[in-house]
Amino acid sequence: MNPKRIPNQPLLKILQIPNSFWGSLFCKNIIGFFILFLSWAAFLPLSTAENTHPFRYGGKLVLTTTSDPKSFNEIIAKEVSTSEITAYLFEGLTRVNAVDLKVEPHLARSWKISPDGLTWIFHLRRDVKWFDGFQFNADDVVFTFNELIYNLNIPTSSRDIFTINGQTPKVEKIDDFTVKFTLQSKFAPFLWVMSQPILPKHKLEKTVTERKFNFTWGIDTDPREIIGTGPYKLAKYVPGQQIILERNPLYWRKSVDGDQLPYINKIIYLIVQSADVELLKFLEGSIDYYVLRGMDFSLLKPLEKNDDFTIYDMGPSSSSNFITFNLNPGINPKTNKPFVDPIKLSWFSKLEFRQAVAHVIDKQKIIEIVKNKLGYPQSSAMTEGAGFFNNTNVVQYDYDLTKAKELLQKAGFIDRNQDGILEDSQGHDIEFNLYTNADNTERVDIAAIIRHDLEKLGMKINFQPLEFNILVSKLNSTFEWEAIVLGLTGGVEPHFGRNVWASTGQLHLWYPKQTTPATSWEKRLDEIFDLGVQELDENKRKVFYDEFQAIVAEKLPLIYTVLSAKLSAVRNKFENLNPTNFGGVFHNLEEIYIKKEYR
Amino acid sequence: MGRYILKRLLVAIPMVLGMTLLTFILMQITPGNFLDTIRMDPQVSEETIGHYQKMYQLDKPMFQQYIHWVYNLFHLEFGYSFYFNIPVAKVIAGRLFNTFVLSLASFLFTWMIAIPLGIWAALHRNRWIDRCIQFFSFICLSLPSFLLALVFLFLASQTNFLPLGGMHGPDFENMNFFVRSMDFLKHLIIPTLALSIGSIAALQKIMRGNMLDVLSQQYILAARAKGLPEDRVIYWHALRNAINPLVTLLGYEFSGLLSGAALIEIICSWPGLGSLMLTAVRSKDIYLVMANMLMGGVLFIIGNLLADVLLAKLDPRIRYDKKH
Repeated sequence: MNPKRIPNQPLLKILQIPNSFWGSLFCKNIIGFFILFLSWAAFLPLSTAENTHPFRYGGKLVLTTTSDPKSFNEIIAKEVSTSEITAYLFEGLTRVNAVDLKVEPHLARSWKISPDGLTWIFHLRRDVKWFDGFQFNADDVVFTFNELIYNLNIPTSSRDIFTINGQTPKVEKIDDFTVKFTLQSKFAPFLWVMSQPILPKHKLEKTVTERKFNFTWGIDTDPREIIGTGPYKLAKYVPGQQIILERNPLYWRKSVDGDQLPYINKIIYLIVQSADVELLKFLEGSIDYYVLRGMDFSLLKPLEKNDDFTIYDMGPSSSSNFITFNLNPGINPKTNKPFVDPIKLSWFSKLEFRQAVAHVIDKQKIIEIVKNKLGYPQSSAMTEGAGFFNNTNVVQYDYDLTKAKELLQKAGFIDRNQDGILEDSQGHDIEFNLYTNADNTERVDIAAIIRHDLEKLGMKINFQPLEFNILVSKLNSTFEWEAIVLGLTGGVEPHFGRNVWASTGQLHLWYPKQTTPATSWEKRLDEIFDLGVQELDENKRKVFYDEFQAIVAEKLPLIYTVLSAKLSAVRNKFENLNPTNFGGVFHNLEEIYIKKEYR
Repeated sequence: MGRYILKRLLVAIPMVLGMTLLTFILMQITPGNFLDTIRMDPQVSEETIGHYQKMYQLDKPMFQQYIHWVYNLFHLEFGYSFYFNIPVAKVIAGRLFNTFVLSLASFLFTWMIAIPLGIWAALHRNRWIDRCIQFFSFICLSLPSFLLALVFLFLASQTNFLPLGGMHGPDFENMNFFVRSMDFLKHLIIPTLALSIGSIAALQKIMRGNMLDVLSQQYILAARAKGLPEDRVIYWHALRNAINPLVTLLGYEFSGLLSGAALIEIICSWPGLGSLMLTAVRSKDIYLVMANMLMGGVLFIIGNLLADVLLAKLDPRIRYDKKH
């Protein structure tokens, strides 16, 4: 699929005609030619004259996604297939720089914070326009917060992010381009959460008063009705087939040397449900980007040169896989039976038991077998990808069966009747159920390896992969499980994991929604998360979260295994790529342009 | 006949309602609900989940939800899809045509190949051509269709002859009608082939069996004995009787026209109902599943009825109205 060189003709240079054009000219009819010509003319950038690099403009980026977006309403729908698209359309006052993970100005050009850390004043950019030409101003910001996020008739997890100790920041307009946020208590990740996308008041106000907002901007909306400020606007959505985004000619951002951004004309998402077909499409050359699974690497690496693409390794991903034991001493109110058999609960509650388990997790073997040698061992609750807040200096548990046996012996788990299965001091066989979600094949493989090693220690494991829904209802409502291999997606900002780590959280998997902390270390975790969020000095904050990671590694409520490697294959048609662990390959999409010969 | 049809249609109403009730109960009593994925997000609080529950009316008692749905049904409202946030009817409408085209293509292709092939095989019974056909039929029957689809896609990626999945090429909007139709047909080839090959093998075997059955009947012998030309014996007397049992099958096929083929659709990126329903069931998008069941049920009943009526027209031995 390598493009052949076009003979150097001046006309070609000016019009930037793609190579495929000539092919189509010769083999298709005149009408086809005419339509192609017209459509090409429509794609010419509007304002080439003032740009220093007029020849960087044009071309398209073809990507794939596995499922349809659920909505284009950024406030209501938050899952990945939706936010992948809405991220192009809407922007926040701040954004996170994907290279150094620092918060930088975006729709706000600057901000000031009062000495007590409670009042934030944001000065907005004056050159931002909505897709329909309306001026972006303070009213939009106030509207997004007061009428949408804080509106109790609208279900949105954005409200949870802005709820600090049960209260939401007060948002006021000072003048057309100044907004004041008043907090009730200090909130360290405030600038981070201000990346919350702002939506247009002039477009949505009516839907809120008519109580139709929850069903506004659904996937059946005319794309032209969806108005944002982002670098791309929605041009077309064909359910189950493709999503087309078009360059926003009014976009406010300019490159360092004054080019109107973005450079690329069109982004096309093909909806491809099967990863195998996605791979075939990448090899065929019809898509520009492919996220590698562990097993693809050995296939793709040798083809890199010939097939004109590059594989980028962006380090460990942030999706963890861990094993956890149910430590919930509660009683099921319906059946009057304990959630966990008290005998088993007493084993799981012993730290030596969990330490022994940590020592039999063979991370190297998991990486070799499950991840095709492309993975990273995980020992801290904050992954390496979290950068600044990652604490590498925590207790490590090497794969060591003798040590595990010693620990179990010390805790009274000994094979007393010589039948190959350990017993506790009362003579009960150590036997428990291990669940995981069946739809995640890698996780099932990891669980199988862990099970194999636990059986070497003399435990009897009943391993059962379950449907995801069943697993979640066990974790959230029936609480009837013993051990689970599961994963959660981590992030860069530690406070966002509060629901997992604070003893009151509903995702505090091993014993959720505690009224008072069950153990002293869980009490300390609660304190750390309360103090950490109030501390505005980053270095002092890090001390808190380092301690939290040390506690988790020591007490092992979650026993971590391995992280996948983030690997992507990208066709060699782009300039200005700067892949990072946090942002991936296309985080700086506005600045990326397509090499001339590929356009 | 009219009375008979009316009776059948009246009986169908409680049947369809009973089926939707069963579906509804099954969807509700199996563990978990649509909000489970949201529940596993560390940044979502329980109040928010409560708000979502209210918005989707999942907080009401189960039977109240069902009765509400049936009530709306009589106003031709099929409920809201949780997953897509728009009315179920709109979600399905967007996919209906795609599934219909694919099913129809594979249906036509299957029947147009399998019936003549079965007849031909029966007439050349136990000769090498018949043995060849039967041998390949066994192979095709034992190959799962999704594997076939993957093999076809792989071949397509090697030869660049056919597109790799999807319904349209990337420049779809800029094509004129003729190019557009050609493009569409090209995309239709792989999924149709993958869907049809197994069915052709099966249907061919049935047709061959029926034909052989009929050819060994006494009346065929009688027809030959009285000196009718062989063509007339086979295509007039034998074929009419051999094809009778297939008419019932045709009715079943009709109900399958809109149910889609999830695996093939997923592999070939064909935006049909099958893959949509798989997502709906897995994510517990109750009303989307219900609407699809309703549609499938109605089609099944109509298909069966059509088959019965057709049978009565074709086979003089079958009469539904008691006239003595």
